[in-house]
Amino acid sequence: MTVDEVVSIRGKPGKDLGGPKADPVTTEVIRQGLNAGADQMKVALRRAAFSPVIYEMIDFACGIYDTDVRMLAQARSLPSFLGTLGFCIEAAVKASGGEAQLEPGDVLWSTDGYANGSHPQDAVVVVPVFLDDTLVGYSVIKAHHLDIGAKEMYCTDTTDNFQEGVIFPGVKLYRSGVLQRDLYRTILANSRLPQALSGDLNAQLAAARMGASSLLTLIEKYGVEQYERSLERMFDAGEAIVRRYLEDVPDGRYIAKCALDSDGLTDDMVEFDVAVEIEGSDVVVDFSDSASEQAGPINCPLPTTVSTARMAILALLGGNEMPNEGHFRPIEVRARPGTLFFPRPPAPIFLYGWPSDQAVEGILQAISAVTPARARAASGGDLCGISLWGNRDDGSLWACAMDQPVGHGAKDGADGGSPLIIISCSGIRNSPAEVVEARYPVIVERCELAPDSGGAGRFRGGLGTDVEYRLLRDSYMTAIVERTKTPPEGLFGGGSGRPNRLEVRLPDGSVVSYSKVTRLALPAESVVAIQTGGGGGYGPAAERDREAVFDDVGEGYVSESEARRLYPQAF
Amino acid sequence: MATRLGVDVGGTFTDLIFYDDVSGCVDVAKRPSTPAAPEQAISSVVGETLSSRQLASCEFFLHGTTVGINALLERQGARVALLTTRGFRDVLEIRRGDREAVYDYLWNAPPPLVPRRLRIPITERIRVDGRVERPLVIDEVRQAAEMLVADNVECVAIVFLNSYANPEHELAALRILRESGLEVDVALSHLVTGEFHEYERTATTVVDAYIRPHLVHYLRRLRRDLNESGFKGSCLVTRSGGGSMTFEEAEERTFETIMSGPVAGAIGAAEVCRDLGVTSAISADVGGTSFDCCLIREGQPQLKYEGTVAGLPLQTPWIDVRSIGAGGGSVAFFDEGGLLRVGPRSAGAVPGPACYGRGGVEPTVTDAAATLGWLAFGELAGGVTLDVEAARRAVALLGEKLGLGIDETALGILRIVSASMAGAIRSVTLEQGEDPREATLVAFGGAGPMFCGLLARELGILRMVIPNHAGNFSAWGLLGQDIARSAARTCIAPLDSSGLLAANRVFGDLAQRLQDRESNGMGEQTMEAGLDLRYAGQEYTLTIDVPLDSGSFSASHDEVHSGFNRAYRAAFGHTLDEEVELTTVRATSRTPLPRRRQSHSVSTVASAWKQRSVDAYSFATAGRRSFTLLHRSSLSPGVRIAGPAIVAEETATTYIDVGIELETHSSGALFLIDTRGA
Repeated sequence: MTVDEVVSIRGKPGKDLGGPKADPVTTEVIRQGLNAGADQMKVALRRAAFSPVIYEMIDFACGIYDTDVRMLAQARSLPSFLGTLGFCIEAAVKASGGEAQLEPGDVLWSTDGYANGSHPQDAVVVVPVFLDDTLVGYSVIKAHHLDIGAKEMYCTDTTDNFQEGVIFPGVKLYRSGVLQRDLYRTILANSRLPQALSGDLNAQLAAARMGASSLLTLIEKYGVEQYERSLERMFDAGEAIVRRYLEDVPDGRYIAKCALDSDGLTDDMVEFDVAVEIEGSDVVVDFSDSASEQAGPINCPLPTTVSTARMAILALLGGNEMPNEGHFRPIEVRARPGTLFFPRPPAPIFLYGWPSDQAVEGILQAISAVTPARARAASGGDLCGISLWGNRDDGSLWACAMDQPVGHGAKDGADGGSPLIIISCSGIRNSPAEVVEARYPVIVERCELAPDSGGAGRFRGGLGTDVEYRLLRDSYMTAIVERTKTPPEGLFGGGSGRPNRLEVRLPDGSVVSYSKVTRLALPAESVVAIQTGGGGGYGPAAERDREAVFDDVGEGYVSESEARRLYPQAF
Repeated sequence: MATRLGVDVGGTFTDLIFYDDVSGCVDVAKRPSTPAAPEQAISSVVGETLSSRQLASCEFFLHGTTVGINALLERQGARVALLTTRGFRDVLEIRRGDREAVYDYLWNAPPPLVPRRLRIPITERIRVDGRVERPLVIDEVRQAAEMLVADNVECVAIVFLNSYANPEHELAALRILRESGLEVDVALSHLVTGEFHEYERTATTVVDAYIRPHLVHYLRRLRRDLNESGFKGSCLVTRSGGGSMTFEEAEERTFETIMSGPVAGAIGAAEVCRDLGVTSAISADVGGTSFDCCLIREGQPQLKYEGTVAGLPLQTPWIDVRSIGAGGGSVAFFDEGGLLRVGPRSAGAVPGPACYGRGGVEPTVTDAAATLGWLAFGELAGGVTLDVEAARRAVALLGEKLGLGIDETALGILRIVSASMAGAIRSVTLEQGEDPREATLVAFGGAGPMFCGLLARELGILRMVIPNHAGNFSAWGLLGQDIARSAARTCIAPLDSSGLLAANRVFGDLAQRLQDRESNGMGEQTMEAGLDLRYAGQEYTLTIDVPLDSGSFSASHDEVHSGFNRAYRAAFGHTLDEEVELTTVRATSRTPLPRRRQSHSVSTVASAWKQRSVDAYSFATAGRRSFTLLHRSSLSPGVRIAGPAIVAEETATTYIDVGIELETHSSGALFLIDTRGA
């Protein structure tokens, strides 16, 4: 394979419209209007959605784009979707015949995982926006649907992408405002949960149309010319903000060392590197030497590779803004076909989010290592998600899914703090014990901080949690708990936190641990125990304040024996 | 018939309003707030505004306070201990795992209000159906009591898992703590909220305990001060969910006062809507530091049952007032990308906007308005003299950075801040399936009447109302509140006849508990019932009112079901075929205060006000022109005036651009109509 094959992707450039620059006031007003429009899509989708995965876990992304498919605004939702929607639009438009074939009232629908950068469940609706008969932009939503016909509702062991869900490759669900009923019936007929799919899809359509109408209102209000000029200025402003942050990062090439526990099929670790090159205010995130395409479903299609890089950079260096295409311009992403981060069909991609999460964690660590003032040591690094299901006495199905916050790393001047959901899935929340018990035949035996699980250091890593679910009925479990083999590392001499762990304690007393498992049968009275990782420490343990050490012991964050071992200077 | 006094304490100003029921006269006044000891500003504004005869004639003191919320925001509350179910010691610290700043890798949650060493796990367990899974281990509670006494904790919270389904362990633990000699206040989660979701219930119970000593001392000091000045009536404080409660009751249910400040304006606006027959409205309260808006339908502000404050969820009725950091004091600046931004940072009361002449140099929204001639006269509220030159200097300096002229910069500041206010209004209306263009904008607060035309234009709203006493309107809103109490308990069941029967039994318990609370002999109580319902499988619930007959539900489950379907259709545009599930039962009791009269006059008429003209900037015609300057007290009912005009009153200024028509209602409220069309 030659270097020539490496693809390079950046935020799209500005256009020279000639004439005067837009004024900064109108630009700001339009920027706010676009952001508000995207946020309203989010509100509308959450309000009308049927499934908790949308309204509770916020597993979706809503965005507004211009005709050049430059991102105008994306609502704050699942961070790992940040900046993927443009790829979804381009692919769907191309597949359905190209821009010239679009008509007012058309709605495109796609579950093509390679085009959208996701498993097929993350289905995309694109609404082309027309002012009279002229295309002026796109409103787009990607949202996770519970089932669109994969071999299991959630899979950890697929071997090609045809097992992962029905592929609708950018098709017109509406033509000139008319629903294509045959197509709609086909979509529903392929789902185990047609009612949820139809409820969620209708919510997605309504919210995407609302985004389209917000965009139209803005354009009508300010006129096409002023609107277009303002976009250019808005992109430039976004770009300038990110460049300001990047300038403060020392130039150099930094390697993010990442690892996954397995590919889902075997128990072998998959290790890969991502290079981060900083020069002035430009950054290259280079996935081209990561690892080869894998046999199991941990391949990450290109659009998500791009969003992985964008999200990681902006989480640390984005000024906590609502980004637009301009924010992406200083970030170049490189990837090589046939690799983990640029797989080719029919390689399985169901767990595409997990390599992405590890790359995010790795990139954040690589940059943190050279920016001590804006640095944070590693976190547990995974959602530690399990789903449980089974049948009630009347034969009806019950099913639930739980994700866990993990310990987070220490930073300059502060310990790791409360456990959090990993940054790439930020916005997801854990499931309250009282809600779980009210709905499912499960007792939550504990959910508490695990003393001694955070990495030692001048600033201590945040603690992981110990969570135990006791099953009251025979049940099945599918689980993905990553990073059980590699502990979250400290920074600048800080110690590591404990790694994640999933174990099942069977009623006969035997204990088995897992990382990824699909449809594991568990008898009643089994206990599923999840130990989430602790954050890494920051700075050498020898430099920790005596007061802070005693405080940790007093609060029960660190046991006295461990404190004596790790911080002898305090005693 | 009752003469009453309202005092609303905000971040920047303390507002007073006095209503004399005999003469129908109203006095208003405003003083800078004294955040360190809010009762000082109250005492001085009361002392300087009211005679001792007026104060002695007053039957009710109604109060909106930020003491609770400030104790929380500034982390100045009590030393609280928390007893939890073993295995769940860290619920308060683990939270739900989410971030306030979604994309910020460096974000940390604020430290928990109760440190881990004071969170004491107790062996016990109640199942979701109320069965005892593991009995309470009494010795562990005794040991906890000893430790807490020795540790001098000021307040204790007890939160056991599933206690809403069976409170016996929380009650037993309280008994044992008392037997063991613990004397401080104890907050029991099943009494504080009674709703499921252990983190949210724990946070609410802990907040109650955390602000309790602070608020109790404050309310007692305030009542003592008022009594010493000659006030002999009842003291009431506004609840987050609307209505008021006596100071005595507020001492027991402190968490219900947390949003006491911002809700009074929304409640006052709702009353104005009922009086004027406005069916759909948005209240827009623009103060010094924040913009608060609320959707009002059929004369009622929208209510929700969970709010968030200082990053903590609270399970309590909550008037759905949305706040953003945009107000008269919001500071304008150029960001790193070269765009003009406004807020959320505020210049506050000190140093305040540049035009206050108190040393502020950064340009604020108020400075922009002063620059454009919108604050056309020299005196501002609270004894501040307007320094227009200082405002112009601050605005000019900002403009130079980007080559914009003074007026252009000032205009930009106002356009940007109104765009963010409009964004907040859009989201609050949209979430309820309401089109803002159909609504009337009710604008008040020190800067509300100045902004309403701009804001209406931005949203496509054609009708606006500026209520009486616009600058002190939140205090006015306090005066009209009934005494209200509420309680809730989670009760998960299918919505069928037996589920509704179970809910009715729970309602009976809750109603009894509300009636048992001290009623102060103020009049007839009426009871209201509500049920949280959802389609089975969903998480979000809608609260549906249930009619009562002799204290019991008088609707069948079919009627409740169709009521839910109607509400669901109104909110989401469709209904589902799923089963409907009950989750929570709600009871509210109300004791009306005597009604105020509708019409009233302002007693402090501006002396010798002469109509004149001022030069000010018109948005509609994009240039400076002559505006008629009027005093509000000179406008007689029925009078119609076409803009451009500026209407001044004691504590606010109404800006009426070209194309907007003013009509004075018989009540004194100003109607503004945008005649240019949407």
